[in-house]
Amino acid sequence: MEARILEFAALLRKHGMRISPAESLDSLLALESTGLGTRETVKDVLRATMVKRTSDLPTFEEVFDLYFSALGEAIRESGEQAAQALGTTLADYQKLLEQLEELLKKRQQQPGANELSELARALLRHDDGTLQRRMREASETMREGSGQSGKQEGQLGHAIGEQLRLGEIVRELEGLSDELEQLGADGETAAKIRELIKRRLADLADLIKRAARLEAARENPQPKDTTGLKSLGEKSFYYLTEDEIRKMKEAVTRLAQRLRHVVSIKRSRAKRGAFDLSRTLRHNTQFGGIPFDVQFDRRKKNRPQIVVLCDVSDSVRNVSRFMLQFVYSLQDLYSKVRSFIFVSDMGEVTKLFEDHDTNEAIELALRGDVINVFAHSDFGRAFKMFHRDHLASINRRTTVIVLGDARNNYNLPHEWVLRDLQRKAKQVIWLNPENKTTWGFGDSEMDRYMAFCDVVEECRNLNQLYRVVDRLVLS
Amino acid sequence: MVPPRLSILPGLPMFSSIDDVVQQFAGQKYICNRAIATVVYLASKMGKPILVEGPAGVGKTELAKVLSRCLDQELIRLQCYEGLDEAKALYEWEYGKQLLYTQILKDKIGEVLAGTGTLREAVDRISAQDGVFFSERFILPRPLLRAITSERPVVLLVDEIDKSDSEFEAFLLEILSDFQVSVPELGTIAARNIPLVILTSNNSREVSDALKRRCLHLFIDYPSQAHELEIVKLKVPEVADALAADVVSVVQGVRKLDLKKSPSISETLDWARALALLNVASLGEETVNDTLTTIFKYEGDVRKAQTELRDFMARQKSRTRTEGQPDPADKDVLH
Repeated sequence: MEARILEFAALLRKHGMRISPAESLDSLLALESTGLGTRETVKDVLRATMVKRTSDLPTFEEVFDLYFSALGEAIRESGEQAAQALGTTLADYQKLLEQLEELLKKRQQQPGANELSELARALLRHDDGTLQRRMREASETMREGSGQSGKQEGQLGHAIGEQLRLGEIVRELEGLSDELEQLGADGETAAKIRELIKRRLADLADLIKRAARLEAARENPQPKDTTGLKSLGEKSFYYLTEDEIRKMKEAVTRLAQRLRHVVSIKRSRAKRGAFDLSRTLRHNTQFGGIPFDVQFDRRKKNRPQIVVLCDVSDSVRNVSRFMLQFVYSLQDLYSKVRSFIFVSDMGEVTKLFEDHDTNEAIELALRGDVINVFAHSDFGRAFKMFHRDHLASINRRTTVIVLGDARNNYNLPHEWVLRDLQRKAKQVIWLNPENKTTWGFGDSEMDRYMAFCDVVEECRNLNQLYRVVDRLVLS
Repeated sequence: MVPPRLSILPGLPMFSSIDDVVQQFAGQKYICNRAIATVVYLASKMGKPILVEGPAGVGKTELAKVLSRCLDQELIRLQCYEGLDEAKALYEWEYGKQLLYTQILKDKIGEVLAGTGTLREAVDRISAQDGVFFSERFILPRPLLRAITSERPVVLLVDEIDKSDSEFEAFLLEILSDFQVSVPELGTIAARNIPLVILTSNNSREVSDALKRRCLHLFIDYPSQAHELEIVKLKVPEVADALAADVVSVVQGVRKLDLKKSPSISETLDWARALALLNVASLGEETVNDTLTTIFKYEGDVRKAQTELRDFMARQKSRTRTEGQPDPADKDVLH
C-alpha cells in the first residue's frame, strides 16, 4: 500500500501539486490511524494530508479518481452492468454463469481441447481480482519496456492490449461461442452465453481504454491542470480568452490585496518616530510617573497622491479593462487618487469609481458616458485638455501614471504637456501595454513622450504589472 | 526526517472513529459531512493542527466551538488582526503589578539592603532577588501561553490567521511545531498538554507553505441543497418544512450569481429565523423584498438578486398551477 500511496503522490506532483515527503509520510500515518475503510475515507484522508491549497482541490479530485478507481471500480461496474443487461435478475445471471462453467468443464474433457487462458477465464467468471492484477501487470510491463513517453492514448491502449494478448483471447472466446451447441447447450442458453461473451469482450476493450487513459495521464500530465497564474502571468493582455479574462480579474484583485498588505506593513513599521515627552508622561502616570512604557511620535504617514490617466481607446480595449480594475484598486487603497480616462477627450472618473463597485464602474467608464470612447485616439488633444483643466491639482507629491500605447493616429503629440507635468509632479510613470520593440514605429509617439517620463515600463502582462506595483509601493 | 509524533494524554474523551465524530457533532447541532469528520478525527489522533479555509460564514469558527464542547475542553480563542504581536498573543510582563509590589515591599527591600557598604554590594544583593520579580507571578499569559500551560487540554482557535502579518505567522509556526515557548527571563516553558489547534483563514492572503505543511488542510464550501436544508431544519426548528425548502433553494440559486458577498449558511439561518418571526407561511414577492436585507450585505447585491428572485417566484407560481392547463403566458410567447 505504501508503494501505491507514494506513486499517487508522485503522480500528483507531476500534475503540478507540491507534495513534500513529509506530506506523504503524514498521509501514511493518517491512513494507519483511520484504517483503509471505504474509498471515500481514503480520499478524505489523502485530501486532508496532501492538499494544501484550495486551488489544488480540483486537480486532486481528478487524479484521485483516475488513479484509485480507474480499474477496480470500472471492473466491478462492468460486471454489474453485464448482469443487468443479460439476466433479468442476479439469480438468473448466476445460473447462466453456472451453466457456462459446466460447458467449460465438458469442453475440457474433450480430446484435443486446450484450456482457456487465465485472462479469458477470469473475464467470463467475473474474477475481478485476477482481472485487475493482470491489467496492472500489463501496464507495468509496458511501462518498463522501451520509451512510451509521448505516446498517445490510442497507442498506449494498443500496447496494453498486446501485453494482455488481446488477439488470442478474442480468438479463444469466439471459438468457444462457435462450439456452444456442440457442447450440448440448448438454443436459448447458447444465445445468452454468446451475448455474454460479446459483452465481456467489449468490457475488456473498455477497460484497456481506461488503463490507457491512466497511463497517458501518468506520462503526459495535462497542462490544463497546472493552469497556475504562472502561465497566465506571462501571457499578453491582448491575447486572453474569456476564461482567462475571468481568472485575470481574480489575479488583479489579489494583486490589490497584496498591495494593501505591503502598504499596511510599511505603515505599521513607519509608526515609530521620535520620543514624545508629553505623551510618555501622560501614559505613565498609571505607573507612578516612572516611564515604563515609552511613547514615540507617530510618524506622519506619507500618503502618495496619484493621478492616473488611462487610455481606453479601441486599440487597447482589452488591456484597459484590467488597467481600470487596477486603477480602481489603487483608488480603493490610497485616499488621494484621481482617475481619468481618455481617448481624444479627457474625463475624470474618480467619483464614478467611488460610487460603484468594480465591474459596474468599469462598464460605465467604457460605455461612453464620461467621454466619447469611439473617437480616434488623440493623446495630444487629451493631454492639452488635462493641462488646461487639471494642471493646478498636480503638486510636488503627486505621482502621475499614464497607461496607454501612445498610438496617436499621426495627430500632434503635444509632448510639452508631459514636460510641464514632469516639472510640477514628483514623478511621471508611463506604462505601455505594447511590446517595447514596436515603440516609435508607425503612429507610436512613445519616443517623444519617453523623454519626459521618469519611469517608462512595458506592461504587457500580469507579471510586469506586478513588478511595476512593487516599484510603486516601495518608492 | 521523521517528525516526532506527539502523543496525547490517554484517558481523555476522544473520538473513537470517524462516525463517532459525525454523531457527536450532530449531538451538538453541527451537521458535518464525512470529509470534515475525517479531518477532525485525524487531528485528534495525530495531534496536528487543522487549517480551515472557506468562504465567510460556513461555520469555520463554529467548528472549533463545537469541537471544544464535544471534547468538554475549554476553548481559547486568539483573534488575529493586523499588527498582532507577541505581547498580545503570547505573554506580557505585568509592569504595573511589578511596580506596585516594589512599592509595597519597599521596607523589605530596605532590610535586604541593610548593612551593605558599597553600591556594588547592594546591586549584588538586589540581583540575587531578581527571580522574585521575573517569576510566573508577574507574567500575564495571553491566549497562546494559556493554551499550552493549561492544566487540562484545551482547544485553541486561531481565528483569521490571514489577517495577521507574516512575521506573526512565522512565530506561530515555532509554537505549533514544538509546543514550547521561551521567555528570556524564565527559560523555556514546555506544554503541559498538546492543545488541539484550529486555524481559520478567509484566504485574503495566501498562508505560508511552511505553516500549511504542518497542518491538515480542510476546505469547507457552501453546503449542498439537501445538506443546507438539514441544517436549517435543525437550527431553526420553528420554520415550516415547505418554507425552509423554499428558502434554501432561493439561497442556493442566488449563490450562483456574481455577487460581492454571497450569502452563507449563517445568512440562510438568519433569513429563516426572520421569516419564522414574521409568521410567514410561504415566500411571496413582498415578503422576500422586505426581508432581503438579512441575506445581502450590499446594496448592489440586493438589486442584482431581485431579478433572480422574480424568476424564482414565477417558477413557483407555474409549479402550483395545474398541469393540464397551459400557462396563458406561454401562449403569448407562442404567438
